[in-house]
Amino acid sequence: MSPESSPLLETRGLVREFDLPGGGLFGRRKTLTAVSDVSFSIGKGEILGLVGESGSGKTTIGRMVMRLLDPTRGQVIFDGLDLTRLSGRSLRRQRRRFQMVFQDPYASLNPRMRAGEIVGEPLLIHGLAPSVRERREKVSRLLERVGLSGHDLERYPREFSGGGRQRIGIARAIACQPDLLVADEPIASLDLSIGAQIINLFSSLNKTERMSLLFISHDLSVIRYLSDRVVVLYRGRMVESGPTRTVLDAPVHPYTRLLAGTSSGTPSETQNGAGEPSASLCPFLTRCPEALPVCRESMPPSLENSESGRQVLCHLVAGHSSWKSSASPSLIQGSP
Amino acid sequence: MAEGDDRTLLEVRHLSVLIETREGMIRPVSDVSFAIGRGEAVALVGESGSGKTLTGLSLLCLFPPGATVPSGEILFEGQDLLRLDAAALRMIRGQRISMIFQEPQSALNPVLTIGTQISELFKSHTDLPDSQVRERVIERLRSAGLPDPERVFKSYPHQLSGGMRQRVMIAMAIALDPHLVIADEPTTALDPTVALQILALLSSIRESRTKGLLFISHDLAHVRRVSDRVLVMYAGRIVEDSPASRFFGDGPLHPYSLALLSSRPSGTGETGRETPLPAILGQVPPLWNLPPGCAFAPRCPRADDRCRTDQPPWQSEGASGALCFYPHHSPLGAPQHVA
Repeated sequence: MSPESSPLLETRGLVREFDLPGGGLFGRRKTLTAVSDVSFSIGKGEILGLVGESGSGKTTIGRMVMRLLDPTRGQVIFDGLDLTRLSGRSLRRQRRRFQMVFQDPYASLNPRMRAGEIVGEPLLIHGLAPSVRERREKVSRLLERVGLSGHDLERYPREFSGGGRQRIGIARAIACQPDLLVADEPIASLDLSIGAQIINLFSSLNKTERMSLLFISHDLSVIRYLSDRVVVLYRGRMVESGPTRTVLDAPVHPYTRLLAGTSSGTPSETQNGAGEPSASLCPFLTRCPEALPVCRESMPPSLENSESGRQVLCHLVAGHSSWKSSASPSLIQGSP
Repeated sequence: MAEGDDRTLLEVRHLSVLIETREGMIRPVSDVSFAIGRGEAVALVGESGSGKTLTGLSLLCLFPPGATVPSGEILFEGQDLLRLDAAALRMIRGQRISMIFQEPQSALNPVLTIGTQISELFKSHTDLPDSQVRERVIERLRSAGLPDPERVFKSYPHQLSGGMRQRVMIAMAIALDPHLVIADEPTTALDPTVALQILALLSSIRESRTKGLLFISHDLAHVRRVSDRVLVMYAGRIVEDSPASRFFGDGPLHPYSLALLSSRPSGTGETGRETPLPAILGQVPPLWNLPPGCAFAPRCPRADDRCRTDQPPWQSEGASGALCFYPHHSPLGAPQHVA
């Protein structure tokens, strides 16, 4: 593969299980599968949107991509390197190339550090600006890049508004000129008018610095505006993925259709305990308004429409001529 | 008194709330006037700190500690709530005016069953014999769209999904047949597909033509689905009051309303990130440090010197009105673009 066509980031069959409390000394340990068989890729300079309801595994995936959390199974390939096999110094050397912007700018900034120190810290850690003067200059430029000013260097996080704090978080994340930003609901805690400013900042970073972006959100209209491709998650599984416009304008999976408002059906709500979907069946079965008898018997196949670059996990389109069984399960190719 | 027009359910006149803070005296609700008719759903829109939640709580006379109400009237079915004593207010809260909160998980008692919690309402507010209470609760759960009300009756809050818990909250809010229901960001904590169903349920509350709904939200897409009229708050003041058809159709009057509408990706539009979103510059000013003129002037593309020094007047145009020197009515004009 030529370097241009190989994706910047690729996840292969990511699975993450969490142990649940209880079970006792001799009881069988219970686990919760938060993420199941998730494979996607992000091309250089591409924006991938990750959409799903709360508890669908969006954040867990973001944390595994960042190697803040180890996957139970599966791989995270960053620029050809399997991050899940790296540790210690070699991992640290890669870390500056992928950075994260968190949802809550109040909780993710150290309240006792000044804005300048917060943004300058990654430069210091990675030895990118050893002298104090050099660092100060770089930090000023970074603050200006995100719409703050050099005067803000000496201010503490509490002296900024929510939008200002999110800008500090972004300035820190881009300090080492990463290739990939993982942004987990970065505008969910911001006001409408401020959110628009931050969205514009992300698209500008993508355009001028060619930063790739994994943008995690539950807001379809923001995903639609910002991302090239989209992955729709439901209970930890990818139910549909492909180019954003194609997927959202003509969704195939019943869940995506409900999200995009193109379904006439109404989902049924189930009680968390009793209606827990079986792990060997479609995750959406218990709420699906269009379920077929076959949906109660077997796991839906992972299907691929190679012409439009889409993938869907659903029985409804099985047997349709344009949808073929995926060669590698639920793996979508980057098309930057 | 508002008895002349019995279609008016609630009328708030020149309500102000003052709160003493470390930064000084602030006025989070400032000269607020609006009305809700029977059978009408009114949306109250604003960003955090705009005063929308406090306005909603004021209708139940629930004020934060240290707050004073220097002026105003809250006429509910002809009665000024601000002049009622605690006992009279207790009869109104829950029974004639009820509130649905943002997070059902924190508004429900985790150690009592749903049935016990709703039954309590009937026991404390009505003379209904115990034998009939259960029946009535189950009927309310059913009308809130819960599929298996008998089972929900016996369930604890943690056994229900977020959407079901919010339906339980709605069942509680409509239990005693109140005339006014206040819903404060009722869909924030919910999955988007479930949120749409809750909105439809809320919207049906007003169909009886005797009830009114005040829907507090920052999400204009949701407001569009539910409301007949839209109120926009900014820095404690109502800056626009327009019929929803006008607000989302021809466009709002106030430049802030317009900016809010256009600062969100449309969700259907063809333009992507190559066209920057028309974001509003700057941020909401702190309430203890408001500019002398219009509070929105420092961020407003239409502002001139007068806006920066004088309080703008309320200007009406048909059924709409705005607190602005230059209320404008062209369909979505072009606010400034910010990179």
